[in-house]
Amino acid sequence: MFIPECQIVVIIKHQEKIASPEIIQSRYEDLGYICSHSVATAIYLACHLQKPILIEGPPGVGKTELAKVTATYLNAPLIRMQCYEGLDESKALYEWKYGKQLLYTQVLKEQLGDVLRGARGLDESIARLHDFGDIFYSQDFLEPRPLLQALQSQEGAVLLIDEIDKADQEFEAFLLELLSDYQVSIPELGTIKAVSTPIVMLTSNNTRELGDALKRRCLHLYIPFPDAALENRILATQVEGLDTQLREQIVALIGKLRDMPLKKSPAVSETIDWARALLLLNVEELDPHWVKETLNLLLKFQDDIELVEPEIKALLKDLR
Amino acid sequence: MRFVVDFIGALREAGLPVSPAESLDALKAIKLLGLEHRETCKSVLALTLVKRQVDQTVYDELFDLYFATIRKAEKTKEADNDESPENALKAQSGQTDTSDNKDNTQSQGPSEADKSDAQQVNSSSTLGQALSQNKDMSLAITEAAAAENLSSIVLFTQKNYFAYKIMQRLGDAALSAEIRTIGNSLERKSSLERKNSLEREGSLEREGSLEREGSLERENNLERKNSLEQKRTQRKLIKSRASLLNQVKDYVEQQYLIYAQHKGLKYREEYLQQAKLSQLDRLDFKLMQSLVQRAARKLASQHSRRRLTRKRGQLDVRKTIAANAAFDGALFHTRWKATRVERPKIIAICDVSGSVSAVARFLLLFLYSLQDVMPKVRSFVFASDMVEVTALFKQEDIELALEEIMQRWGGLSTNYATALEGLQSQALASIDNKTTVIMLGDARNNQGDGRADIWEKVFRNSKRVLWLNPEHRNSWDTGDSIMSEYAPWCGSVEPCRNLKDIERFFSRLLKHS
Repeated sequence: MFIPECQIVVIIKHQEKIASPEIIQSRYEDLGYICSHSVATAIYLACHLQKPILIEGPPGVGKTELAKVTATYLNAPLIRMQCYEGLDESKALYEWKYGKQLLYTQVLKEQLGDVLRGARGLDESIARLHDFGDIFYSQDFLEPRPLLQALQSQEGAVLLIDEIDKADQEFEAFLLELLSDYQVSIPELGTIKAVSTPIVMLTSNNTRELGDALKRRCLHLYIPFPDAALENRILATQVEGLDTQLREQIVALIGKLRDMPLKKSPAVSETIDWARALLLLNVEELDPHWVKETLNLLLKFQDDIELVEPEIKALLKDLR
Repeated sequence: MRFVVDFIGALREAGLPVSPAESLDALKAIKLLGLEHRETCKSVLALTLVKRQVDQTVYDELFDLYFATIRKAEKTKEADNDESPENALKAQSGQTDTSDNKDNTQSQGPSEADKSDAQQVNSSSTLGQALSQNKDMSLAITEAAAAENLSSIVLFTQKNYFAYKIMQRLGDAALSAEIRTIGNSLERKSSLERKNSLEREGSLEREGSLEREGSLERENNLERKNSLEQKRTQRKLIKSRASLLNQVKDYVEQQYLIYAQHKGLKYREEYLQQAKLSQLDRLDFKLMQSLVQRAARKLASQHSRRRLTRKRGQLDVRKTIAANAAFDGALFHTRWKATRVERPKIIAICDVSGSVSAVARFLLLFLYSLQDVMPKVRSFVFASDMVEVTALFKQEDIELALEEIMQRWGGLSTNYATALEGLQSQALASIDNKTTVIMLGDARNNQGDGRADIWEKVFRNSKRVLWLNPEHRNSWDTGDSIMSEYAPWCGSVEPCRNLKDIERFFSRLLKHS
């Protein structure tokens, strides 16, 4: 597959921004998104190889956030498409403006008399009708949905296809053409190619196994829960005014919780929420009372809370 | 680049589905970012090649193994950049080169052998030369291994064979021959010396000729010095040969780990798929379980879409007209009635008595691995009494639950009558025309009454009855088997002897349900 240079608008405009993974990593940090080296490498490769990224990982590790930051970083519009069961191309790609098409046929009916005036015989009438511009199925009546918008965007765009695992398998197959060639086929119009290649990110929560064909076309990025050092830095940038000691305690405790057999382990977003709550409550040091009171911010299942609550004291003891 | 291609080959051997397109991506990505930084390289290759999370551990393992070797090879390549090809060439031509040498030494008389000895201090064989100069042989080893097609290694018993072949290719024959010739000549000399000294003693006694003694002494000194040097060379050659052999063996071991470990597993898996379930070794249970789960996953993904399409029912005229009122009555949008999908039920009944328990274990495992696409399953096990184990499966991990079932109820003797009576009281009422009943049993009833009348009731009430028999068709109705009593009241009766049978059976079941 050959992609002409002129299509890579986003990339040419910001060549210096994506010169190396290290630059991406440090610049993302300035934007408040702390990422590991492999994430930065993935973004770098996505830009240079013109490949979509399939991002997997547990909920709340910043998959969607990554797309948002990328869009901000590259000054490109973020076009987001949330997937759900029953999503089809009329909602994802394009729809005809039926109302306007109907009006058009009305107008056409009135004009028909003028067009056909003086025509002799059926053949000539039909010949004249053929000469008459046929715009019933044309760009004028096309209502672009997210995917088409992304392809038509002059400036290039970051297209986020969120939670692709929620969509049906048919839709996945439908995406293949877009993902590999950055073009879509509309039966009435033919193939529409991307004006400038968008950067495509797909996220998946792994509720079902995605097809091999889809995976083959994408770079596969797995974002795990961050390690302690990384999480510490994330907290430092996301929650301002948090005491260093408290921050370390929080990170250590969360790490411990993740090792427990919970239904849903606390993710980064929950850590941030919790830290903010503790800051708001003016907690200076983790003590069993406050942890117990705010546990519902971290754990979203009653079973988990019941499992952790008796352990709080022991957990906190280990921290010191 | 060749390393990356080799690495991809190794990944494929390990069972990762790497397509050519993905390999190209990986190569392009490596071209962009280079191989210098191990971490970058690792994440680049993971991004482009590893698309399933299950493969991640295999990938990590292989990457570490593989790139440890490459590191070494790269280093030596850089160190003696222009030397290395020459080196390798020498190593390869060593064999032919030295065969001439060998001929020479054999044809030469003992007097001439002395002459050539002087050269042999530097070692005559190219391999010996390379070794005595302390050259790093790892690149030569890698190349020799490639020439011998080491990556095709399958069994651990082949390790010595490959080590031998690689040594041969490196020119070991010449080296050993050299060591042998030195040894021979040394022996010859020492015997000569002994003779000489004997002679000398004799001559001293007899004649005492000073002149002759002086010349003999000189000769001896020269010879002794010569032989000392030879001895040193020999010792050195033997030592370096041993260390080279070790190096080769290490390399073969490492390559074996990379290539063969997973290949051996593949052979084993192929064998297990065909193997009779009832005769499986306990050691294979673990592997078998993963196989079952993989097969179930495959089936599940094949059949997961079928359910979705069935959800749409007939055209809902009223809603369609309402939805299209805005378009002047022209019907653009269609509205469909959603059909109420009645989840079909499955009742699985497994004989867990001694004769069938092994098959039952895997049937149940398969059934529960299919839960994504399978409708609600109630499962019963029996030897003589019918016991519902649905709850047990819910509470516990499937493997643990299976273990417990087999311990508690497995291995008892069968009584179909009491079992079927138990079924009648516990579940017959809930069997309706949406229920599929799967029975796994050998119908060996220890001569008792089979109570086929209950089975008839089950058949009449249910949507379908399937009977799986772990025995071959030929042994049905032999001995105490009463298959023919139940057979009229079954939709189909099939033998179910290995994993392939189970897979085929479920594939058909899913197609119809």
